[in-house]
Amino acid sequence: MIILLFIVVLLALLGLPLFIALAAGGLYASYATELNPSILIIELYRLANQPNLMTIPLFTLAGMTMAAGGSPQRLIKLFNALLGWMPGGLAMAAIVACAFFTAFTGASGVTIIALGGLLYPMFIQSNYPERFSLGLLTSSGSLGLLFPPSLAILLYGIVSGTNIDELFLAGIVPGLILLVLLSLYSYKSARRWHNPRHPFSWRVLASAARDTLWDIFLPILVIVGIFGGFVTISEAAAVTATYALFVETVIYREIKLLDDLPKILIDTAKLVGSILIILGVAMGLTNILIDTELPTRLLAITDNYISSPLEFLLALNLFLLIIGAMMDIFSAIVVVVPLIMPLAHRYQIDPVHLGIIFLANLEIGYMTPPVGINLFIASQRFGKSILTLFRSAMPFLGIMLIWLLMISYIPALTLWWK
Amino acid sequence: MNPILFAIKQKLIVFEKLLAAFCLLLLLLLSLSQVIMRNLFELGFAELDTLTRHLVLFVTFMGAALISEGNKHIKIDCVTATISERSKQKLKRPLYFISALVCSVFSWYAVIFWLDEKNYAPPSEQLALYLALILPAGFIILSLHFFLLSLIRDDGSQLPDDDSLIDTLVSQADLPSGSGQQP
Repeated sequence: MIILLFIVVLLALLGLPLFIALAAGGLYASYATELNPSILIIELYRLANQPNLMTIPLFTLAGMTMAAGGSPQRLIKLFNALLGWMPGGLAMAAIVACAFFTAFTGASGVTIIALGGLLYPMFIQSNYPERFSLGLLTSSGSLGLLFPPSLAILLYGIVSGTNIDELFLAGIVPGLILLVLLSLYSYKSARRWHNPRHPFSWRVLASAARDTLWDIFLPILVIVGIFGGFVTISEAAAVTATYALFVETVIYREIKLLDDLPKILIDTAKLVGSILIILGVAMGLTNILIDTELPTRLLAITDNYISSPLEFLLALNLFLLIIGAMMDIFSAIVVVVPLIMPLAHRYQIDPVHLGIIFLANLEIGYMTPPVGINLFIASQRFGKSILTLFRSAMPFLGIMLIWLLMISYIPALTLWWK
Repeated sequence: MNPILFAIKQKLIVFEKLLAAFCLLLLLLLSLSQVIMRNLFELGFAELDTLTRHLVLFVTFMGAALISEGNKHIKIDCVTATISERSKQKLKRPLYFISALVCSVFSWYAVIFWLDEKNYAPPSEQLALYLALILPAGFIILSLHFFLLSLIRDDGSQLPDDDSLIDTLVSQADLPSGSGQQP
């Protein structure tokens, strides 16, 4: 039977879809523990009892609608008008626009494809070094991961049973700190390069703001709606998706209901399907692993080597960085979170703090080989080798590691509102 | 390439797309109507809630089946970076076949699960019971899709998948020549 499991892992490494590998793992685990494999279906069906699950397709629909409606172009125009006059201003504009956009599209690669393609020529024309430009754009694909209504936060909340409102609130300050750190680095670097800059113009800014007004209102709607207590998260998701469709079809008229909407709906279903099918089949497998007391055994092993929360956080960061480099974020959340929750509880790590640390590690994992998805997408988009992109992203990776240490060891940055 | 199998696959894709788009749109409309009813009229219907939560499963299964078409499921295929394109192509159909087998086993247990539910479901849960048919149906559709993919030889003569949003974005934001070679 061990050979069978080994074959499944090998096939997964050779390109078997992860959900199939997890499903096969679940079947193996159920036979090994002499449980009826129907338990895997029962666990999958539990998805239908998750009240917040519908937020995932609805927020994704909002993001896809914005992407198809020309929101990336409008955002770049606005943030460039706002920040482009400073040294490194274009880079800062790119950082903010990418973070804004990723929060809605869930770091699914759309940011690098949609915004990277627009920004790269702008960087080159403004005399930014190629290495800096590639590094920044490769890192930018996961920047907004901690901002509401991030798909990764929603999934983490659903899998771990942590309050999603609290996770949204906890992610804001760490997310902003990362934007500031990267902007400072861009400012400092660009002072050496003397890139051409445009003068600040209120007229241009006002015109760009007028064009982007309806896009900018969207995150405000989500944040005020949820934290103001006006709507629940699932209600916010429905309102956000409707708002995005209304704005892009009626106000901007970039999307034609009959021509474009079916394609947007199908693309949303594909993205949602690729993530939630993993969640569905993994629920059975992780439940069997929990029944076999795997977390308890892990706890016993860690107790031998780790004695304080500080040591645990350090070990957790190392472990998650490796996981982030090997697995995509959505699968890592589904598979790893149920196993580390009891460990974190043992070392008295707040589940909300754990969630932000978990996502921050995986955000970094997006740009580390061998499976850093940002590297692959950027490689396809910019026609550069993975190694070139990894080398280019190194300074940004370094900054993100410092940021990771900050949010891991200063819980107040995450839990200030408690 | 077998034209009959290819035609079946194309029909299956059309069905999956229609169902995925319809269910997602219905999910949006029902969720919005619930928001309006709850906040303006202080009304709520448990059946609507049951329906919306099951619609997520419908969207999930149809989306998962559709994404199988382009072999774009999430993978952890770090080994494939080290093997040739030719070997990758050779691996595709056996992997589709294994996927079809695993989905078939899940279909079987999903049918057993549903029949058990049918025997024990109270009358108040009849709607949920019939909506839960998506579990066996979803896995059967996934199995069928993977089986067809494993049987149809990819000789490059297949119709291209309709241009997805991502392709559209790429074409909208295309890089100028000289800014990096396209792969």
